[in-house]
Amino acid sequence: MNILGVSAHYHDSAAALVIDGMPVCAVQEERLSRHKNDAAFPAAAIDWCLDHAGLAPAALDAIVFYERSMLKFERILTCTLRAFPRSWRSFPHAMKNSLGEKVWVRGIIAAHLDVSHRKILFTDHHASHAAAAFFPSPTEAAAILTADGVGEWATLTCGRATRRANGRAELTLERELRFPHSLGMLYSTFTAYLGFAVNEDEYKVMGLAAYGKPSMVDRVHKLIHRTPDGAFALATEYFEFQTSASRSYSRRFVDLFGPPRSKYDPIDLDTAEGRRFADCAASVQRVLEDVLVDLTRALHGETGLSDLCLGGGVALNGVANARILAESGFDRVFVPPAPGDAGCALGAALYADRIYFGNPSREIPDHPFWGPPVSASDLATVAREDGQLFEELDEISLIEYVADALASDRIVGWMEGPCEFGPRALGHRSILAAPHRHEMRDRLNRDIKHREEFRPFAPVVSTEDAHEYFDLPPGGARLGRFMSGVFPVRPQWRNRLAAVTHVDGSARVQVVEREMAPRLHRLLDAYGRRTGLPVLLNTSFNVAGEPIVTTAMEGYSTYRRCGIDVLVAGSTVVTKRGAAALLMKEGMAWPSQGVVESGVA
Amino acid sequence: MSIRHAACVDRVLRPVHRWIWGDGDRRVRKLLAFAEVETGGGRDILRAAEVTPDLYLEHAIDELHHGDLFRQRSAALLRARALRTASIFDGNPLPGGHGLDDLAIGNEADDRLLAFLHIAEKAAAHRFSIYREVVDDDPETRAIFEEILRDEVFHMNYTYTQLARVSPQSYRRQIWRARASRFYKRYLRCAIRCGDAVASVLLTVQYFVVLPPFAWFAKRAERREASGWVSIDRPAVRSARSQY
Repeated sequence: MNILGVSAHYHDSAAALVIDGMPVCAVQEERLSRHKNDAAFPAAAIDWCLDHAGLAPAALDAIVFYERSMLKFERILTCTLRAFPRSWRSFPHAMKNSLGEKVWVRGIIAAHLDVSHRKILFTDHHASHAAAAFFPSPTEAAAILTADGVGEWATLTCGRATRRANGRAELTLERELRFPHSLGMLYSTFTAYLGFAVNEDEYKVMGLAAYGKPSMVDRVHKLIHRTPDGAFALATEYFEFQTSASRSYSRRFVDLFGPPRSKYDPIDLDTAEGRRFADCAASVQRVLEDVLVDLTRALHGETGLSDLCLGGGVALNGVANARILAESGFDRVFVPPAPGDAGCALGAALYADRIYFGNPSREIPDHPFWGPPVSASDLATVAREDGQLFEELDEISLIEYVADALASDRIVGWMEGPCEFGPRALGHRSILAAPHRHEMRDRLNRDIKHREEFRPFAPVVSTEDAHEYFDLPPGGARLGRFMSGVFPVRPQWRNRLAAVTHVDGSARVQVVEREMAPRLHRLLDAYGRRTGLPVLLNTSFNVAGEPIVTTAMEGYSTYRRCGIDVLVAGSTVVTKRGAAALLMKEGMAWPSQGVVESGVA
Repeated sequence: MSIRHAACVDRVLRPVHRWIWGDGDRRVRKLLAFAEVETGGGRDILRAAEVTPDLYLEHAIDELHHGDLFRQRSAALLRARALRTASIFDGNPLPGGHGLDDLAIGNEADDRLLAFLHIAEKAAAHRFSIYREVVDDDPETRAIFEEILRDEVFHMNYTYTQLARVSPQSYRRQIWRARASRFYKRYLRCAIRCGDAVASVLLTVQYFVVLPPFAWFAKRAERREASGWVSIDRPAVRSARSQY
């Protein structure tokens, strides 16, 4: 049975293909269109998925959209009516926005693929999140919590899912919280207040929080209060997201927290103003964590299950995830590599397969690499045409060469196999560097990423070595598999891991298992043999404002215009002339053995 | 080909330009807008470098660098005004957009792309030459315009040379076609804005004329809603074909 999942129109759109119960491929539209967080209908992603699988659209048994668009429209219209007459400005915007394209999803899909309307199905937004979290996870039974800004009406759901011995799966969402009472919207409101981009820069608030003190928790509690049944409700008078398209916080919010930050103003922690912004971030982060821990603790008591699957954009908050693991009572917490709306494309397809069609549940490979592959020969071709130093090496020589380069403080662009599905670079489209010194972090920020200094870089370490350098609780390695948790760096290693240790001594560590990324695992081993510290800095292979690279050519163009010294795609290695000369001077010339092909223009 | 003087229209509009650039706030806003346009254009050209056989990479790098220059200058002006020095965030978030002209790189032939770039660079060079003159009270901003103007003139010339090489028979026609296309896209943008404004007016009228009774019902229903958990009892499986 061939099922295509589609998510579109709000954040990062995506498509995913499931054949006979097994994911075959999945890709976000931004990776193909090169527009960051592309929310457009994912025509390119759909076409790539079908091409990759060699399927014609007519061979699809179902196309599943990740939410019910008319129900969402109903929510938008109802909220506008409830806010009458204050919503008079947002009403035209909301109607044009929805009626222009978003409610006609069935027709758009049918027209694009030329398939019957009867093949087009819909799932609930949070059911898609839940399916994306549960079905790919290696667990037989789990409690489920999904939380994001808003789906149709739901903003947070709780439920449970099981795989029966006969292969049948059950996924039940038992209760929900409804808009406007939303943890995601609370966090996004602070994101906007702090001058960052909503639905994009929430992780900057999390990074900034480490610089502040949660001294405004009492004030944040005025915005969100707990209800007698253990849920929560927002005090809507402090917010405008439910009535306005342009502003998410009200005048009362500003009275409570002070003037908002303009996106162009610097955050200077030496000033009272800068510290106020950091304290705001720390306070909302603390409240978010407290509420999530309470909700998951109650869910654990209710279900008695040992595993929890987290879905929705809120599950990208690694600090909160780590606290849930430590304090909720669950032994294991599973967060998929794409917990946000892009992941719903895969979730919708799996939900239709397992629940709607009742197909038996199959074990899904536990990795995030479902996107377009990179071609080593394409990189060799473009490097040859552009007159760059390149070589094609066998596996052992390549690993040794790259480990040498990293050990001598070179920055490596690392491309391998299919790209990751989701926002994290997990070793197939990564920039790798030595993690030891602050200077490396500053160099990456200045020459490559062009981003704010307060944002930390992440380390990558093998499963075998993770506990030596990071204080991982039981289940921490699992959470670190897709970089979903933030954990303390062991104090004795913080100086030697300065480039990846955040100001509060934590790191968003990726824990690599040999089976998931064998090549990266070998590289970590080789690097460890040279430096005595088998940990690397791993950041996404892109520059600020651009999506992560997909093809060899995109990797090459990024490498050429920023400070990356060495570029690897499959078996091909390209080295900048300056870096190559320095490597030769340091006695680490191009490998003499293992060269399959080389070129120097 | 060189740009010594601004275009005729811009010369006539010199007092307007001087008025715009004379104010600190407007100057920062203009620089930030240029930063976005240059960065967006740079990304489009970068895409061309990635998907076409001709390499536009250096051109794209220049445009992205221009975006950085504008952004850094506007951030410096902002900092100077705010009397702030050290910061952990330099106040110049990179925008994530692409160029204004909705350039479909994958669908453009080489000669059309070159003609489009030539026209765009020429227009930018004319415009920047007058901006350079009206910011003579601000040597640092003037220096940025001078540096960028040099690059734009180089880009204008290389795209013209390449175009003549790629399409020796039809390069003039391509340039006229690019001009017409640019004009048409401007018209489309204008028409969309007009349509948008008309739709907003009509919807606003409907809002006040049609919606009040429905709003009354919606508010009444809201008052009856309890806060907290809502149990989910809808039959999800049976409604898979429904958008509701």
